[in-house]
Amino acid sequence: MTRPSRRDFLRGTLCTSAFLGCGGASGLFERTARAASAQADGRGTALVVIQLSGGNDGLNTVVPYEDDAYHRSRPTLHLAADHVHKLEAGLGLHPDMPAFAGLYHEGRLSIVQGVGYPNSKRDHPVAMRDWQTALPLEAMTQTGWGGRVADFAHTGVTTDVPSVFVGPIPPPFGVRAEQTVVPAIRSIDQWLPLPGWPVAGESAPFPRAALAVPASNPLLEFLRESTHRACAARDRIQESRLARSADYPPYPLAQSLKSAAQLIRADLGIRFYLTELGGGEIGGFDSHAGQALNHGSLLRELSESVAAFAADLQHDRLFGSVLVMTFSEFGRSLSENGRRGTDHGAAAPVFLAGGGIKGGLVGKHPSLIDLDQDAPRFHTDFRRLYATVLDRWLGIDSRRILGESFAPLEGVIA
Amino acid sequence: MAYERSSARTAGGLSAWWLRRMIETPQPLLERMTLFWHGYFGISNARVGNPEVVCRRLHELRGHALGRFDRLLGATVKNPAVLLSLNARNSRKARPETDLARALLEDFTVGAGPWSEPDLQATARALTGWHVSQWEVGFNPDEHDGGPKTLLGETGNWGREDVVRILLKQPTTARHVVERVCQWFISESNPPPENVVAPLAASFAKDYDLGLLVETVLRSNLFFSALGERIKSPVDFAVGLVRAFGARVPTLRLAEDLTTLGQDLLEPPTVKGWGGGRHWINRFTLLGRARLAQELLADAGAYAGKLEPETVAAKHGQGSTDAAPVFLFRLLVQEGVAEETRSALLQRLTSASPPQERLRRLAALIATLPEFNLA
Repeated sequence: MTRPSRRDFLRGTLCTSAFLGCGGASGLFERTARAASAQADGRGTALVVIQLSGGNDGLNTVVPYEDDAYHRSRPTLHLAADHVHKLEAGLGLHPDMPAFAGLYHEGRLSIVQGVGYPNSKRDHPVAMRDWQTALPLEAMTQTGWGGRVADFAHTGVTTDVPSVFVGPIPPPFGVRAEQTVVPAIRSIDQWLPLPGWPVAGESAPFPRAALAVPASNPLLEFLRESTHRACAARDRIQESRLARSADYPPYPLAQSLKSAAQLIRADLGIRFYLTELGGGEIGGFDSHAGQALNHGSLLRELSESVAAFAADLQHDRLFGSVLVMTFSEFGRSLSENGRRGTDHGAAAPVFLAGGGIKGGLVGKHPSLIDLDQDAPRFHTDFRRLYATVLDRWLGIDSRRILGESFAPLEGVIA
Repeated sequence: MAYERSSARTAGGLSAWWLRRMIETPQPLLERMTLFWHGYFGISNARVGNPEVVCRRLHELRGHALGRFDRLLGATVKNPAVLLSLNARNSRKARPETDLARALLEDFTVGAGPWSEPDLQATARALTGWHVSQWEVGFNPDEHDGGPKTLLGETGNWGREDVVRILLKQPTTARHVVERVCQWFISESNPPPENVVAPLAASFAKDYDLGLLVETVLRSNLFFSALGERIKSPVDFAVGLVRAFGARVPTLRLAEDLTTLGQDLLEPPTVKGWGGGRHWINRFTLLGRARLAQELLADAGAYAGKLEPETVAAKHGQGSTDAAPVFLFRLLVQEGVAEETRSALLQRLTSASPPQERLRRLAALIATLPEFNLA
């Protein structure tokens, strides 16, 4: 398969309707049938990455309920066969994840098992930074992989941004960019005028008539063009905000995904969404003590929020162009510690949800006998997963983002 | 100082304190140059891991901002925030760290051209032995590589001070600083012409007097002819708007809003600082700037109505219904807006309610003009 080019990706970042400013570029970005990155209607595919902060316990998320070593090592935390939502191959989902079990049985959820990286770190900031930069060997890296997606598309001419962060915390490092300002979105209302402004009877805060005067210098021309495009984007956001929206549960993650769905509907050329569960920093998944209740409620928030997002987008036939991917900085130890918790580990499963994936289990469950310091060993480098979603889903040459070539995983994207 | 010490405990508090200072200072040029140097050296609080140490560095920058570049550079290589941010917490003889050395050559002094890998290694070796512990810089002679090194053609058993001395002797160092200063004050879109840079660099290289350099640049014809060749940074945009009305606003919130617009004051994206210019602008940042202008000018809400266009117009004897709008245009965009633009905006306001409300909205509209985003 030929590698997707920068042009293929840029084409997908252009929104479909020909609003002001797009016209001139249409010749450059004419459609080709090749890349999966642009759907038939010209709408780009979108990737929604959910960061699970704190190190999610993979073994109590995708549970090897038939494995004796699992039950032996976790005297109080182990989940019994008749409580989990059974999938196949002796694996079941945590009891608080019926919503994911539903997606799984519909073929809209994949579980990539045993994901990690060589010499992985068990220190929160270091490991998290490795997953965020996708360059574990380069300590001075100043950008995240989502930020580099934005920089990659940055032309200095158009003012579209393909990456955003959505959530109530400061943006994580994963969207840190060098060339572009990656938006951090708490609510899409932040892009709209204050209610009632500027004046009664007017809908636009930017004075369109004023923009007709010829510009005296190229920077002013650029600002005018950008302002036109901002006006168009604002109108689309406004429209999308007023459009029908499904019911979302009252979780913070669900609200972030609802905002993402509104932006996807507004078709603004955003391709990479990052959001977060766990509260950032050393987040809620870091369950050294009294894990059971807390872990269950986080997994419920994750699965129900994603399921609501899926249902919302399916209603508008948009889930086929959206792929959700979770990640956490590490998994946890096989053995329960003395405080009904688990300690930092290595490999863990990654969830993929979307209308354009094959669904099912990808790769084997890691052995619970051959361990990496009491934690499941990785067999799939997370950068292969990133390469898969970059090359095969977003249509970006993954080498441009990851710095080297990683083989994409087969059997993931439909 | 007490206020400052307590604010510097958190990144948000330190940013808020600095913004307050930018808004209220009687010496805006000094704050502007402090921000220039902060970007020039590109120190990240996240990498340092201690806002109080970054706060001390900001004081140091302010102290030298319009002083002498040779002293500023000398202080820079001894500063714990610089060492921590550039991965030089503990550079040992057996394994010299190169990130600080690279930044020192490429970004702080001679620029990308005139050095090669052996110069980088020589610089890194000369800096070994210096380390940070307890947030202070210390020296361990056992870890210092005291052997002979050749740096940019000069051979000797160079240490830290020698590196600074040799780098300051290079003609491209003065040039590098002059170009960055011109970019900061004059034009981001066009490099300054050779007949401006060459004499400026030649005279700056003699004494590295930053006050004199900045004064010369600000008095140059180029400075006046090149108006509108820069795009305001988020800080320029907001601080400029607030200062225009002589107001004080809650800066903790302002620091957050500026982060959303792409300028977290304590986190320049790279060691080269903020990209600036067109990099600030995309559809979302423009919508965000418009929203921020409205929130700053609203009579209630996050910024509590501290900007009062009507009062300010009246204070300048321009409070009448006809004079006040004209005054606002002059205050915010001087003569930089075409007559058509002006009348289009004024027409849109005819239906609005009480005069003070109308002026608030007019001011916000002016601040969303493409022209207002130019500096």
